[in-house]
Amino acid sequence: MNIVVLVKQVPDTETKIKIGADGKSIETSEIKWVMNPYDEYAVEAALRLQDSVGASVTILSMGPERTVESIRTALAMGADTGVLVDDPATEGSDGLGKAKVLAAALKSLEFDLVFCGHRAVDSDENQVGIMVAELAGIPHLGLAVSAEVTDGKVKVQRPIEGAKVTMEAILPALVTFGGAHAVWNPRYASLPGIMKAKKKPLETKTLADLGLSADEVGAQAAKVSVTAMEMPQERQPGRKLEGDTVEKAKELTRLLHEEAKVI
Amino acid sequence: MANLLVDERDVKFVLYEQLDIEQLSNTAKYAEYSKEMYDLVLEQAWKLAENEMAPANRKGDEQGCVWEDGKVRVPESYHRPYEMYKQGGWLSMAEAAEVGGQGFPVVMGLATIEAFGAANLSLFLYPGLTHGAARLLEVYGTKEQQRTFMDKLYTGEWSGTMCLTEPQAGSDVGALRTKAILNDDGTYSISGTKIFISCGEHDLTENIVHMVLARIEGAPAGTKGISLFIIPKLRPENGELVDNDVVCPGIEHKLGIHGSATSTLNFGENNNCIGYLLGEANQGMRIMFQMMNESRLFVGMQGQSHASTAYLYALQYSKERTQGSDASRIKDPTAPRVAIINHPDVRRMLMFMKSVSEGLRALLYYVGFCDDLVRSAENDQEREKYQDFIDILIPVCKAYGSDMGFRVCETAIQVLGGYGYCQEHPVEQFLRDCKIASIYEGANGIQALDLVGRKLVIKRGQLFKRLIAETEEFLRWARRNFELRELVAIFEAARQQLIEVTKYFGLKGMTEDYPETLLYATPYLELFGDIAVGFMLLWQALIAQRRLQEIYVDAGAKDAQAQREVLVSNRSAAFYRGKVASAEFFITNILSLAKGKAKAIMSGQRAAVEIPEEAFTLT
Repeated sequence: MNIVVLVKQVPDTETKIKIGADGKSIETSEIKWVMNPYDEYAVEAALRLQDSVGASVTILSMGPERTVESIRTALAMGADTGVLVDDPATEGSDGLGKAKVLAAALKSLEFDLVFCGHRAVDSDENQVGIMVAELAGIPHLGLAVSAEVTDGKVKVQRPIEGAKVTMEAILPALVTFGGAHAVWNPRYASLPGIMKAKKKPLETKTLADLGLSADEVGAQAAKVSVTAMEMPQERQPGRKLEGDTVEKAKELTRLLHEEAKVI
Repeated sequence: MANLLVDERDVKFVLYEQLDIEQLSNTAKYAEYSKEMYDLVLEQAWKLAENEMAPANRKGDEQGCVWEDGKVRVPESYHRPYEMYKQGGWLSMAEAAEVGGQGFPVVMGLATIEAFGAANLSLFLYPGLTHGAARLLEVYGTKEQQRTFMDKLYTGEWSGTMCLTEPQAGSDVGALRTKAILNDDGTYSISGTKIFISCGEHDLTENIVHMVLARIEGAPAGTKGISLFIIPKLRPENGELVDNDVVCPGIEHKLGIHGSATSTLNFGENNNCIGYLLGEANQGMRIMFQMMNESRLFVGMQGQSHASTAYLYALQYSKERTQGSDASRIKDPTAPRVAIINHPDVRRMLMFMKSVSEGLRALLYYVGFCDDLVRSAENDQEREKYQDFIDILIPVCKAYGSDMGFRVCETAIQVLGGYGYCQEHPVEQFLRDCKIASIYEGANGIQALDLVGRKLVIKRGQLFKRLIAETEEFLRWARRNFELRELVAIFEAARQQLIEVTKYFGLKGMTEDYPETLLYATPYLELFGDIAVGFMLLWQALIAQRRLQEIYVDAGAKDAQAQREVLVSNRSAAFYRGKVASAEFFITNILSLAKGKAKAIMSGQRAAVEIPEEAFTLT
């Protein structure tokens, strides 16, 4: 069985974000880049299947050269091969553009399953995975916190309020993963894993290799673009109300009504 | 929350920009390693340290080790991170592939050790000691001993200890009494008691391999009659592990490192303790000494680990905690409250911590890097040169690293004030855990004697002369920097003071005034450490200042105002400015004192040794 995991490299969530000079992108100098956490869960899910049913795991990503770090991390965790689509023409692409690139890259790969995070923590659009499934013409199961494969089907669980729902799809299928670090506890790359990773195949492709042109997937093709970014307002400091209980309750009611305007 | 264990940017600065460890890839030994791999390793080590080891630190401190009926339980929270560490293959990271290691450069190993020690020193001591025991076996063990013991130590399946200290034999190891009697089959029967054995008994691993110094019956007194033995807690016999009569009658209750089982061990209470001689008889001290560089560097790094995390914690706190108003409006009660990082005295403390932790990091990594240069050297001359650097710097790394680490922890508490003194914040634990580093693995006073009595003297002072020649080479480059000329001048003057004092010691050493050098050995080591750290910071500043200028040029920032804006918006620029500031602060505030320190050392003032014991009073 072949699993392709779509991995995006994103700024570490611990990075202090600064808005760039253009006012619509973030300042990227000296940023720490990491594998999107939800994609890391997808890698972990794929590696568990590799352990249990013997799947071959390919990591597919797009982005500049630095993206190799995230692919290598996944290879060091245990994935088998990597493919990076690195083409400056993809700069400024929107979710659909990215999905087209990834779907085109998928065509050249053998797969029974495609795994990815349900969203990337940088722009939080929740789109690419679903769009790839649509473009590839395969079913999509979303927000999974587990994945098993039996009899040509993938079965996943998704948490709903206070319970879990179990869903299945016929292969090939695409699964997007949710959950949290504590749910997945993605494995650490071991040192022997890191040593092996450098010898694992990692192929780099351009749009031309995929039979795509910049005007199909690049900035010009984007239907969605970021026009401005602003930092959230700084939180106001808390206020302590003085007086006895009755006075405090009155003042609180007044504030909730007049200032916060919630009642 | 950012990584509060080590400043990741600074670690990479030292590795790639200052030491340029990528040059190792040009050597046959490290040809297959690259920056990409180093980055991956650091990333994983930091994750492991932050997510697994650090969360177990406070719990481990509170729970401590529990002794019951001769068995010791480590804090429950230790088992999972230890398992992760073991599975990751971290224990044998810098070992050759032939012994199951990953062959990474020593300096990379040190960089991960810094983070692991910062995350949870007590836990990290277990594999730390195991590594030392495995190294002994790798260098001195027979093939059979290596297969039986070393392999299981390098994987972390078993753990190891170093057993030197006895009740009457601490710093004076030669006074030890543990006895070994030769058996017919070539093994030895061991009897004796060891105390203060770190990780001596615990349930983290199935078996523990003790490396024990003992005297073979009939061997000479003193250090010349000491041999080294492998004494497992459970000895392999006919494919099974059987009890080897090593009993732990109790553990110590200590100021810090509560999660590390500091054990008393009785060997052979029932005459059934078998030991296996490691290396040759009566060579125990020599063998131990060979391994001391590694363990002493590791202990110096413990000081640095705590300095690093204490600084980052205090820094974060100082940016969040508001108290008082800006100094310019100090008399105005309506002035807004500001974060304490705005107060000059808090900044002074932060700069002390920043500069010391950065300078120490560079010094310790540098010594690790010298080890890589020794290992990959192409000729004996080069090998000897870097070995000389290591040998003279080791006591400085150990003593200065642990002492300054402690002072940084103390300063961190000061920044947090009353809150820092309470258990609600971790800095008080850092201070408690850090203290041991100046005591064990050769107390710092012993390090000073090693420096003055041995390292300055051997090879007719060649070690010191070589180090000074290396700094001279560096200064030829440094003197060309106009911007930093004042710092270079202070450094040169301080370096000259160190040379003067060293010459003075050389002369004293040949006369009957020899005890005077013992009295001033510790102040001398401190002076040496100041200059070594100052050197590292100056080196860094020269690099950083050049990079900063490049950034200004790229940004077209010509005047002070434009440059300030770059510093706010550009992280790299801010980092490099911070590097220059570290050098400015340390060199101006600490190296300026070198003259006074040298004067005191060379004063010949002997009150401490001349007054009669009674004059100290207690009566």
